[in-house]
Amino acid sequence: MHGPVAEVLQFIDLTTYNILFLFIVGFIGGLVSGFIGSGGAFVLTPGMMSLGVPGTVAVASNMCHKFPKALVGAIKRYKYGQVDIKLGLIMGIFAEIGVQVGIMIQQYILKVYGQAGSNLYVSFIFVLVLVIVGGYVMRDAVQMKNATGITPSSPALAKRLQQIEIWPMLTFKTAGLRISMWFLVPVALATGMLAATIAVGGFIGVPGLMYIIGATSIVASASELVIAFVMGLGGTLIWAYYGTVDIRLVMIILAGSLFGVQLGAIGTTYVKEYMIKYVMATIMLIVAVSRFFAIPKYLNELQVTALADSSVALMTQISFYVMCFALLTGATIILVNLFKARSQEKAAVPAPAGG
Amino acid sequence: MEPKKMEKIQEHIPAETTSADLGVQVKKISYILVVTRNGHMSEPVMEYAVNVADRLQYNIIAAHINTLPFYRDGGRRSGLFASAMQESALLFREKAEARGVQVKHIGDAGKIGNVVKRLCSSEKRIEFIVIDQGIRKEEVVSQSPVPVFSVIYTEKKAGLRNKATHYKSVEKGAIRMSITSKKRHLRNCFTFGILTAAVYAAVFLNQELVMAYFTKGGIYALLPVAVVFMVSYAHGNFTSSFWSALGIEGSKSTTTKPADIRKKATDVPVVKKDVRPRAEVNV
Repeated sequence: MHGPVAEVLQFIDLTTYNILFLFIVGFIGGLVSGFIGSGGAFVLTPGMMSLGVPGTVAVASNMCHKFPKALVGAIKRYKYGQVDIKLGLIMGIFAEIGVQVGIMIQQYILKVYGQAGSNLYVSFIFVLVLVIVGGYVMRDAVQMKNATGITPSSPALAKRLQQIEIWPMLTFKTAGLRISMWFLVPVALATGMLAATIAVGGFIGVPGLMYIIGATSIVASASELVIAFVMGLGGTLIWAYYGTVDIRLVMIILAGSLFGVQLGAIGTTYVKEYMIKYVMATIMLIVAVSRFFAIPKYLNELQVTALADSSVALMTQISFYVMCFALLTGATIILVNLFKARSQEKAAVPAPAGG
Repeated sequence: MEPKKMEKIQEHIPAETTSADLGVQVKKISYILVVTRNGHMSEPVMEYAVNVADRLQYNIIAAHINTLPFYRDGGRRSGLFASAMQESALLFREKAEARGVQVKHIGDAGKIGNVVKRLCSSEKRIEFIVIDQGIRKEEVVSQSPVPVFSVIYTEKKAGLRNKATHYKSVEKGAIRMSITSKKRHLRNCFTFGILTAAVYAAVFLNQELVMAYFTKGGIYALLPVAVVFMVSYAHGNFTSSFWSALGIEGSKSTTTKPADIRKKATDVPVVKKDVRPRAEVNV
C-alpha cells in the first residue's frame, strides 16, 4: 500500500519564508514541550498545512519531529533528576495501544459521518477536554499559588487510589509513589487516544499523572516526555512505512525545537511547581478558544448551520492565530520566569563560599 | 639521626599571680593540646588556642612534632626544625602571656598519631586537641581519646591573601572546574555544531535523492527514523552545550527553590563575614 500513497503525495518546495516559519514555530513549540511535557504539535500541523503541506505529510512529519524532541528533552530533564523512566515507559506502551484505539475510533467516525463529521468530532473533543482539564489545572495552579506554607503532597484522589492494593502494584522511585497498574493503564490509554485525536496527548497525560496517579507537576511533565517519545516513535514508524514523512520539514523543525526543548527543560529547574500547571492551563484554555472558532466551519459543512463563507473563513483564520497566540503566551511566560528566576538566584547567591 | 638526639624540650612558664587569684589554688587545670608538624606553628592556630584557653581557663600544651626525624640530609632538617620550634615557642608564649595563659612546650618526634596518643596518656587532663595546618585530621582522630579540632582561618591573618585556607584548595578546584567546563562546553558546541551541520548538509544537498528513498516506505521507513536519531544526538548535544556555553544552565539549587533563597536573602540582613579563626570538629 505504501507505494501508491507516496506517489500521490506532494512535497512542497522550501522557501526562506517556509524555513524561517518552521524554525521559529519549532523553537517555540520545543520550549513549551520542554517545560510542560508536550505541546507545540497542535500548532505545527495546521501551520505546515497553511504552507501547503498535505494533511497526511503534515501529521506524519509532526509526529516524526515529536519523538526526537521528546527524547532530547527527556534526557535533559533526566539529568535534573525529574524523569521517572519506568513510569514513562509503562505509560508509553499503554499509550501506544491508546493511539491505535484512537485511530480506530477516528476511522469509524470518518466512515459513518464523513470528513466534516470527523473534524467536528476532533474539535468537539478538543474543546471538551481542554476546557474541563485546563480549567481544573488552572484552578489548582491558582490555589497552589495563593496557598501559604507547605503545599499538600498529593491530591486526594491520587492518595485514595494509591491506598487501593490490586495486583499488580507498581512502585516508581523517582516519582515516589506506589499504585496499582489498573489505575495507570486508563490514564495511559486516554493519553494515547487523545494523542491520536488531537496530536497532543500530554493535555491528558500530564494532568492524569498529577491528579490521578499523584506525581508532582515536575515529574509528571518530565515523564510525559518519555511517553511522547514512545508514542512518537511508534507513530513515526507507521507513518514512515507509508512514506509520508518529509524529512526536510522534520529536520528544519527539529533545528529550532531542540534549542527550545533544552531551554524549556532548564526553565523547569527555576520555577515553582504551580508555574508548570499555570503555563499548561493557560495554553490549554487558549487553544480551547481557538478550536471553538473552528467548529462553525465543520457545522457548515455538515449543513447544521448556514453561515456566510467569508465569516467562516475569518473564523478559521482567527482559530489559527489564537492557537499561535496560545503558544506564544506559554513561551513568553516560560522565558520571563526563567530569566527572572535566574537573575534573582544570581543576586541571592552572589559567589561561592569564601569568595 | 637518632631519636635520642631530638631533645625533649619542656618549658614551664611560671603561673602569674593572676591564676592564683583570691589565694584559692586551682587544683586541676585542664589543657588544650595544640599540635603542629611544621617548624612554625601558624599564628591563627595559636591565637585560637589562646582565646579558647583564656575563656575556659585552661592551659596549653604546644607540641611540635618532627615527623621526619631520620630525614637523610645530615640532620639539616632536624636542626632547622628545632630552631624554628624555639622561635615559634617564644612567639606562642608571648601571645599566651598577654592573655594570662600558661603554655607548656613539648618537642617530639615520630608519627603524629602515635605522639598524640602518647601525650594524651602521659600529660594529664588534655580536654581536646587543636591541630595545625598540614596535619591530616583522620590521622589524629584515629589515635586520640579526646575531640580533635582543626582551625579554619583566613590567610590575611598569616600575612597572605584574604582567602579561607581551609577552603582554598576546594575553591581553586571549583574555579578551575568552572573554567574547564566552560571550555568543554565551547568545545562540545563546536564539535557537535560541525556534526549537526554535516548531517543537515548531507540531507539538504542531496534533497532529490533523499526524498526519493526516504518516502519509499516499507523498510525504507527506517531511513528517516535513523536520520532523526542522528539529528537528535548531534543537534541535541549542540543545543545543550550551546545554552551552557552561553551560561544558561539549570538552577544549581533545584532542591532549594529560588523563591526560598529570595526570601532568605530579603529576610536576613547581610552579616559581615567572620574572619576570626574558628575550630572545626572531627565529625
